[in-house]
Amino acid sequence: MTLLQVNNVTKRFGGLVANHEVSFQVGQDEVVGLIGPNGAGKTTLFNCIAGFHQLTSGSVIFDGEDITALSDFQVARLGLARTFQIFQASGDLKVVENVMVGSFMRTSSRGAARQVALEVMEFLGIADTAGEMMTELPVAAQKRVALATALASDPKLLLLDEVGAGLNHSEIDGLIELLQRIHGERGVALLLTEHVLEMVMKLSHRVIVLESGRKIAEGEPAAVVKDPEVVRAYLGDHYVKRQKENGDA
Amino acid sequence: MEELGIQILKSAVSGLIMGLVFALVALGLTVIFGVMDIVNFAHGEFLMVGMYTTLLTSPLLGVDPVLTLPLAGLVGAVLGVMCYFGLIRFLLRGPMIAQLFGTFGLMIFLRNLALLFMGSEPRIIHEGWLVGKSILVGPGVVLESTKVAAAALSLISFAVVWWFINRTRVGKAITATSLDAEGARYMGISTEYMNALAWAVGGASVGVAGGLLVNFWPVEPGVGLLFTMIAFATVALGGFGSVRGALVAGILIGFIVNLPPVWDAILRSIDAAGLRGMEIHSFKYTMVYAVYFLIMVLRPQGLFGWKQ
Amino acid sequence: MEAVKNAFDFGDMPRSELWLAALALAFLLWFPAMPHSSFGMATMIQFLMFSLYGMGWNLIGGYGGQVDLGKAQYVGIGAYTTAVMMIRWDVPFWFSMPVGMALAVGWSFIIGYPLFRLKGHYFAIATIATSLVLKDLFEVWNFVGGARGLEIPMKGDMPNWLYLQFREDYYYYYVILGMLLVGLIYMNGFRHSRLGYQLRAIKDNEHVARSLGIDVHWSKIKAYAMATAYVAMVGSFHACYNFNIEPEDTMSLDLSVLIAMMAMLGGAGSMWGPIIGAAILVPMKNYLGSWLGGQAGFAGMDLAMYGLIIMIIAAAQPRGVYGIVEAMRARRR
Repeated sequence: MTLLQVNNVTKRFGGLVANHEVSFQVGQDEVVGLIGPNGAGKTTLFNCIAGFHQLTSGSVIFDGEDITALSDFQVARLGLARTFQIFQASGDLKVVENVMVGSFMRTSSRGAARQVALEVMEFLGIADTAGEMMTELPVAAQKRVALATALASDPKLLLLDEVGAGLNHSEIDGLIELLQRIHGERGVALLLTEHVLEMVMKLSHRVIVLESGRKIAEGEPAAVVKDPEVVRAYLGDHYVKRQKENGDA
Repeated sequence: MEELGIQILKSAVSGLIMGLVFALVALGLTVIFGVMDIVNFAHGEFLMVGMYTTLLTSPLLGVDPVLTLPLAGLVGAVLGVMCYFGLIRFLLRGPMIAQLFGTFGLMIFLRNLALLFMGSEPRIIHEGWLVGKSILVGPGVVLESTKVAAAALSLISFAVVWWFINRTRVGKAITATSLDAEGARYMGISTEYMNALAWAVGGASVGVAGGLLVNFWPVEPGVGLLFTMIAFATVALGGFGSVRGALVAGILIGFIVNLPPVWDAILRSIDAAGLRGMEIHSFKYTMVYAVYFLIMVLRPQGLFGWKQ
Repeated sequence: MEAVKNAFDFGDMPRSELWLAALALAFLLWFPAMPHSSFGMATMIQFLMFSLYGMGWNLIGGYGGQVDLGKAQYVGIGAYTTAVMMIRWDVPFWFSMPVGMALAVGWSFIIGYPLFRLKGHYFAIATIATSLVLKDLFEVWNFVGGARGLEIPMKGDMPNWLYLQFREDYYYYYVILGMLLVGLIYMNGFRHSRLGYQLRAIKDNEHVARSLGIDVHWSKIKAYAMATAYVAMVGSFHACYNFNIEPEDTMSLDLSVLIAMMAMLGGAGSMWGPIIGAAILVPMKNYLGSWLGGQAGFAGMDLAMYGLIIMIIAAAQPRGVYGIVEAMRARRR
């Protein structure tokens, strides 16, 4: 069943077109990757879906409901959670309290919120940091806390914006396994943008490629990377030409 | 009806004149805000220092108050630079709340230092080229030449600052810093130097404004707050950081402050019995605050502002 | 039921802080029995009042990060409601106080809605503007006595608990101390409430807060209303304690800033911050004023020094006294 439906989304900032007529869908039990070179409009598209930007035209349907005109916090309450590229560490709250802010979306009881928060932290393997301050954690752990906070709000779909950025190889492997478990055991659909292609390819069932705000390809990861359009977008025209020449030779 | 017409003319003229002085007062605030996003609560106290400078040095040097204006500007500039290096530089490292309180502490400090040395009674200049002369402009419209001269001089001062910022290399560097401090730093413009300069320019212009104002407005240690608020309203209306906006908005605020007598005249002319005794002109500064509030809510970037 | 449990749950505070708080409470309870001057007693009452004002400010300014410099308007609304109701309709304090709180909260909703569309400096200056507009209106409004203000007539029979009229100051002292304890318990409950957590998340990062389903604008307005209730409550008390009130001493910008200073000096965003701040600032201001301003004849010197101290704190330790304590604790770990 379709969970998220993006219909002809266009977003303009003044004269700059950040997204042009982008359409795609995400199913209830899918992991979809959104890739594209720098400045392709991935983050803008995320912001449009999450209600942070108002669309210039087009519509977004989530879980059968038209969310085009809704504010970001209203979208979040429907079960569409997100993480941010730049995550700022909190000064005032302990780690567990931070995660509780997520679970408070579904309950007003402090005890219940705490229970959910601890359970999610357990699931993500960061239960031992519960009592620490955010500022004392390393970046990788901070990212997991952000993930835990989003998960604690019990979402149906999770938008992940560059979760792999700034992590090393083994940390990325850990993250991949973690995301697979989030999807598999908790039944949360994932839509992720990523610079680390390796991660998208391993995780995604389907990949959507953006270039200059337009969708240029969509399909299974293995097929998409061979698409000449995509190769050109990523590596430039002359690379494609040379590859062709090499192939001909 | 005739009374109403005269009142409108009178208000328009005095609105324009006071507006030009307000614009000069607000100019310093907007320059400083533009460069470093800091709101100086002690701005009115800088004005007070300028007022006292002219008040005290004029008899001391034996020259006319108008001739002490450069000195008032100099004192303002020195005060501005001292405040920058002694206080503001440290505040910039802290959160916004620290900046608010730091300059607020400065306001209390300067105000009470003045109280300590000058006493609390209001003082005004009694003799001078500008004092006490008036021109008859039309039927019933008398202009104090003091205010006319002050308006003209503030327009000149305004032009000087505008020229400095838009036509000199250093001034352009200030503009560059306010548009993009980091970019300017890469271009070899020292942020520290630019900040200090902004405080010097801001202090000088408000110092001159004080020297002008004391010719027709009594000075006392608490005079600053009203002008700080007027300057905030002016800068908000014109757009935080915009020099051109400060001029236009200053004049608009001048009109707003001088509008209530017109309303009173209207009420008198239609003889609204229920409203008799309700003098709207006692609300003239209330309207400035209300205008600030409305502008911020309806158009936060002001008329000419680029910062939000 | 859980809300009550939350209010009395101090388990997340360090043991040392609780011991200190208990000692301080014991001292406060005993203070009237100790030898003291009437000036000392007045200072203590002011300290307790400003602790509560500061706690109100801290709710929105400290936990929420919204720098409010217009709290005095709510002091005024509380004080004037109580005074007017007592003078005109002979209404006892305990009825007029909730009415004053309700009026203040109502007003806070009206101006809070547009106010919280602003951020940072713009918000701070706009709060000043609203407060000054209200003050100007009160100064020309004859119903509330205009600029001369109001004076509450004495009832004669003392002590009068209904109208809060006492000959000895220690009655007032215990009333305001009681209010402080109620305020503290309530604040502790607030800290543990959903809104309490959400507000701190908003202070951290509004975008993240919104992505977690928090209606940022509405949450701020709600917290602002709660903060208002604290301030208005003490404003009502102020009217009874001082007998006469005027716009200048209940609604001035100086009062607004003093309130915010308490919280900031002590440590904004911490439970004890406003109390620590008031404990330092109120005696300092009073005694500086009495020594330098009154006895030595240096009017202005006291406040100039006070301004200097504010500047030094803002430049050197913007997180306040409690911030220093926390930094020391973090280093020890």
